[in-house]
Amino acid sequence: MLPLNPIERMDKQMLAHINWSLLLMMLALFITGIVNLYSASASLLEGGIQLNNFYQKQLIWGGVGMLTMLGVMLFDYRHLKNVTIFLYAAAIILLILVLLVGSIYSGARRWLDLGILSFQPSEAAKISVLLMGALVLSRSKDPLGPVGLLGAIAIGVVPAFLIVMQPDLGTSLNILMILGGLILFRGIKLWLCALIGGTCTLSAVGYFFLYKLGTLPSWWSMLHPYQQRRIMTFLNPENDPQGAGYHIRQALIAIGSGETWGKGFLEGPQSKLLYLPERHTDFAIAVFGEEWGFVGCVFLMALFCLFLLSIFTTARDAKDRFGTYIAVGVFFYFFWQIFINIGMVVGLLPVVGMPLPFISYGGSSTLVNFCLVGLVLNVSMRRFVFKTK
Amino acid sequence: MKIELEGEGYQPSKPGLIFIQCLVLALFVTFVLRFWYLQIHMGEEFAERASSNRLHYKLIYAPRGFLQDRNGVLLAENLPAFALTLNQQDCPDITATISQVSNWTGIPAETLLTRYQQERQKSQRPEPISLIVGIPFDQVAKIEPFVQRMPELSIETRTRRNYPHGALFAHILGYVAEANEKEMERDPDLSLGDDIGKLGLESKMEKRLRGQKGRAQEERNAYGVTLSSSIAREAQSGDSITLSLDLEVQKLAVKALGEHSGCIVVMEPYTGKVIALVTQPSFDNNAFSTGLTSSQWDELRNNPRFPMQNRTIQSEYPPGSVWKLVTAGVFLKEGINPNETVFCSGAYRLGNRNFRCWKQGGHGSMSMKAALMNSCDVYFYHMSDRVGIDKISAYARACGFGAQTGIDLPYERGGLVPSREWKRQRTGSSWQRGETLNVSIGQGATLVTPLQVAVYTSALLNGGYLLKPSLILSEPPQVTGKLPSTPEEQAFLVESMRLTAESGTARVIARPDAVMGGKTGTAQVRRIDNERLKTHQMAYEHRDHAWITTWAQKGDKSYVITVMVEHGGGGSTTAGPVARDIYRYLLDDAYPGSQPHMNLLSQAIEKFEKNGYSPDMQQ
Repeated sequence: MLPLNPIERMDKQMLAHINWSLLLMMLALFITGIVNLYSASASLLEGGIQLNNFYQKQLIWGGVGMLTMLGVMLFDYRHLKNVTIFLYAAAIILLILVLLVGSIYSGARRWLDLGILSFQPSEAAKISVLLMGALVLSRSKDPLGPVGLLGAIAIGVVPAFLIVMQPDLGTSLNILMILGGLILFRGIKLWLCALIGGTCTLSAVGYFFLYKLGTLPSWWSMLHPYQQRRIMTFLNPENDPQGAGYHIRQALIAIGSGETWGKGFLEGPQSKLLYLPERHTDFAIAVFGEEWGFVGCVFLMALFCLFLLSIFTTARDAKDRFGTYIAVGVFFYFFWQIFINIGMVVGLLPVVGMPLPFISYGGSSTLVNFCLVGLVLNVSMRRFVFKTK
Repeated sequence: MKIELEGEGYQPSKPGLIFIQCLVLALFVTFVLRFWYLQIHMGEEFAERASSNRLHYKLIYAPRGFLQDRNGVLLAENLPAFALTLNQQDCPDITATISQVSNWTGIPAETLLTRYQQERQKSQRPEPISLIVGIPFDQVAKIEPFVQRMPELSIETRTRRNYPHGALFAHILGYVAEANEKEMERDPDLSLGDDIGKLGLESKMEKRLRGQKGRAQEERNAYGVTLSSSIAREAQSGDSITLSLDLEVQKLAVKALGEHSGCIVVMEPYTGKVIALVTQPSFDNNAFSTGLTSSQWDELRNNPRFPMQNRTIQSEYPPGSVWKLVTAGVFLKEGINPNETVFCSGAYRLGNRNFRCWKQGGHGSMSMKAALMNSCDVYFYHMSDRVGIDKISAYARACGFGAQTGIDLPYERGGLVPSREWKRQRTGSSWQRGETLNVSIGQGATLVTPLQVAVYTSALLNGGYLLKPSLILSEPPQVTGKLPSTPEEQAFLVESMRLTAESGTARVIARPDAVMGGKTGTAQVRRIDNERLKTHQMAYEHRDHAWITTWAQKGDKSYVITVMVEHGGGGSTTAGPVARDIYRYLLDDAYPGSQPHMNLLSQAIEKFEKNGYSPDMQQ
């Protein structure tokens, strides 16, 4: 029997089964991030090197995150099955609330002002959609049929729609992508797959003909001008060296000029002379690439991949479906962020605001990252609890 | 609370697990490949772009060398000028910047844009581009506050060439102006807005005068703040050159020539140094370095008196009787006894044609000396018919005619010594005996430049050596050729000139305190027909050219002056007084003169006897 007290004793067996490699990789990434932030905070001005205190703040957030992570590890994750639906409902309410009474910063209504601190309900929505998706999909024993698929998609569509209204296209896409990852992991019935694939192909062909006949406008003309501009900038950053292309151009110069061995720690002129924008946040990896070169970048990619594979191990070894799906959800949460952020900085994807986990500075994202790792560690710790009941 | 438990044998879905592993692998491979491409494959290029991001180059302009006369008076100097430069690296929107500049200055935006594009096509160098050079000071004061707020623009101090004496030396000094496309293509050191010598010594001495620009390197951060700067290459200013010219003599010579079109050469016979080189009318070369308007240019080009032409070296004239100094040399060389007399009746009959002497009544019985003193044409008709054209043209060529003198000025012409071969090539018909007669008195097709005459006159005095006319004071004499005559023959011609100045056609220059020599010439522009007109009765362009070539010797001083007055009428009446006025200044005891360095001349002669002449360019 499972003890009803949600806070259990951490016994020796549980400690032994903790996914230590995941913890190790996370700490390695976090330390790499701190070291890189120290460099990104240093700028060469007329008076010599000056430091901003971003790396110190990040250390504090890391400490807070670590405590939160411990808290997340203390209770048995299976209790979440019962609270997930409430978390999800609360997230939806908060999202509606933010649309009604949220504070506006730089044109977007994203924050709920709680007096001493502001809260971004879309972060909570990410976690609750992750848990809700894991819960729903873990109940389906077979690959998804049409009803199952529609039900699973519905979990994401509501919050995604509410977040698009803020507007925050990036986060809502992120939510749908985490859900998509979970659905793909679950698998879809073969005939349904074929049907969806066929429909997509047919409608693309049909659209093409209708477009050729002049009945429908081109997809390009349906985009907002700012969206068109972003895509054009992505395709050719040189066209607009001072405007939107500036970020990506400077990032490519920074990374490329690192060459094989890098310019050395604190020696990257692109970041020290402030040519590189967003050095602490979205473009932090460009600072890293400039100073540590190809060798450093391969090392960092290896760290990220080992980190993701550690999450994968827990997903594989979990003793129940819910545990597996939680780990898979967390996997996709990190995977998409890594993929989109690095893809953007190295010029393979258009510029969207997305931090790189553990490397970019950011209080709430650091907190969420630690929480989610804690969740996976929670699952890994308890993979043998069933034997000892 | 019930928690649903799953069985012991739970296994997550295999395809899902494989899918996740594939994703991780794809992530790693994609980005490692991308990093390889950016950092290894393209690394060098990005590294270069990183340095052009932060390293900015500035040119340090080298002042152009001065030109000064032999007494150190500045003839070409530099004045400060302002230039508006554009730094491409810091310019977000070229078109907007350029239209702003156009608004300020009134220069059409298209003109500026064309300039910018030309320069950008020329090179990818990181130095700023000079958009406008020579902005007037009041405009600079007006736009400076705006320029300071635009990091891509800056106002820089440059220099502008100034010629304090303007028209006085315009043909010798030439002028500088902005280098054009072709010149920039030829010379990689030149960039947009740079000046280059276009004419005269400014052009010929370009390499020495220009110097070399320096380069400074600045490291700037993204906000344009300069963090450090270092000089990558010091600027080297151009050489200053002291010329052999004398400002006072030049001024005086211009004054002596007065309103006439014509030219004057004053040189030292033993060194080849040119003391004055006058061409009238002249132009103001300062107008060129500040930028000439098209109407000014048209006016200069279409002026019927050709002010742009340097008459001493670029105009070819029939020499008239001055040429008899050459023809008499031929007679001596061909063994004609100078004491043999020819009777002048006023004309010489060849076949059925009468060749007239300038003196209608004739000179009577003439020896060679008398014929030179009185410039008797009939004597020369008679004797030249005896020696023939081949001897005359070969001799004249050996005296330096028909070839450039080698002076350090561009576009020098060589004149023309007619010969049988020349005529055959030119007209296809054979030489006529009558033409020899015309050539003998410096008419017909014979053409010389005034400088050639001065060089020949000097050679008669200095022992028979043709010297390169030199404008640069420190340049040692250079022998370019040797007269084909013996010292005795030269002495005969010199003595004839002395007599001519004493009591012949050149007596206008005679002075009691110096030994003088001269030969006048009156070159017909049109044939003498039966009706003989006085000069003032003829149309200007039909009037004769007046020539005189002279020498003077007083103590250590010795000079050669050749004067040529276009359509001036008689040599003795128009050209002679000009030479006389200049000698009055030169031979005055107050004028210091300069001792001829005879050992330098003998060194030059030695070099010439050993190696012949090879033009020793100053550049």
